[in-house]
Amino acid sequence: MIRRKVKVVNKLGMHARPATMIVKTAMKYRSKFIIKKDGAEINGKSIMGVMTLAAEYGSELELIADGVDEEYLMNDIVELFASKFGEE
Amino acid sequence: MKELSVKDFYHSKKKDFSLSLITNPKTLENKITSPYLNKPGLAFAGYLDRFSYRRIQILGETEINFLNSMKPDELYDRTSEIFHYDIPCIIISKGLSVPQQMEYLADEMNIAILSSHMITDKLFHSLRKYLGAYFAPTKTIHGTLVDVFGVGILLTGKSGIGKSECALELVERGHRLITDDVVKIVFNDDVLIGSSANDFGNYMEIRGIGIIDIEKMFGIQAVRIQKRVDVQVELMPWQDNMDYDRIGLEGNFNEILEVKLPVIYLPVSPGKNMSIIIEVVAMNHILKTYGYHAAKEFTKKLNESLQKKAQHRSMIVDDKE
Repeated sequence: MIRRKVKVVNKLGMHARPATMIVKTAMKYRSKFIIKKDGAEINGKSIMGVMTLAAEYGSELELIADGVDEEYLMNDIVELFASKFGEE
Repeated sequence: MKELSVKDFYHSKKKDFSLSLITNPKTLENKITSPYLNKPGLAFAGYLDRFSYRRIQILGETEINFLNSMKPDELYDRTSEIFHYDIPCIIISKGLSVPQQMEYLADEMNIAILSSHMITDKLFHSLRKYLGAYFAPTKTIHGTLVDVFGVGILLTGKSGIGKSECALELVERGHRLITDDVVKIVFNDDVLIGSSANDFGNYMEIRGIGIIDIEKMFGIQAVRIQKRVDVQVELMPWQDNMDYDRIGLEGNFNEILEVKLPVIYLPVSPGKNMSIIIEVVAMNHILKTYGYHAAKEFTKKLNESLQKKAQHRSMIVDDKE
């Protein structure tokens, strides 16, 4: 199991499009994927879950991946956050 | 290009348009190739630059009065000039008669003149409707058409995916079947109308059972003859790498006879109750046509919340003063 902290750095925050990108990326892997924010814990492979977090610009999230391909999953997701989901 | 012979038109629609033939029966040999109509008032006045001669020509009271006011030789010259064009036929409204010279020339030059008892406006609209339907672009599609809560849903997908079984479940839940397996789609009046490609009745093939009769089995309320096609639902086996719509903001479209039809790609897997999902597709479509778009409403609320929280953060949380 690996844990990583990330910050939402795109101005619009985690709205529908980034949420979809996260879920679609996570779905490619077999590992379990959890996102934590302010004590709330959701399944990172559920679109409604990710959108319910309503992670705004500047907020901090904890990502938890657990399974055979956890490293690949984590790298992909962290990269998505770093790339600002292709936004500003 | 589809065509309709004046003879067939006259014999089959004599009653509907209360038609009678003024000219010799041998003039009925022409073909109608256009669904449109033309009132040749300007052509008779001498302006032939943009004369739509391929259309059926309609002469109303005004045109007939105008013809009667012309000098005999002038009328003869104009008429013979116009009749040199490849006109399918002429229809006179209100049961009026045409000048003698015109009748003579029509017989000579093989252009049928029909007289209708209908008033011009009524004749124009009924004819246009009939010809529009006759010349409408048509296509047959492999699929099943059902009416779910009044929404015409075209189920498509590979053979054996379960279109018929899905339609059967819907019929069992009180919805109506239009046709199974082959849907004839006609584009008329800006909408797609689907119906059965044959007139045998509402039969369906269920694998393992064979052919069943839906109307006999479920009654007349389970079937209908035709329905506007509103949404296409493509049933497909679950694929891991398929890009399914998760939010439903953009939506996909499929082009059928130049009409943009909303299409939903629906993964099918064992244990999934397809009929309920199809009912949801229909209800969501109704909500959208009523102006409520759930995906848009949800993301609007999410965006507002994100904006508010970001503002709050910049003012209070990140303020280290």
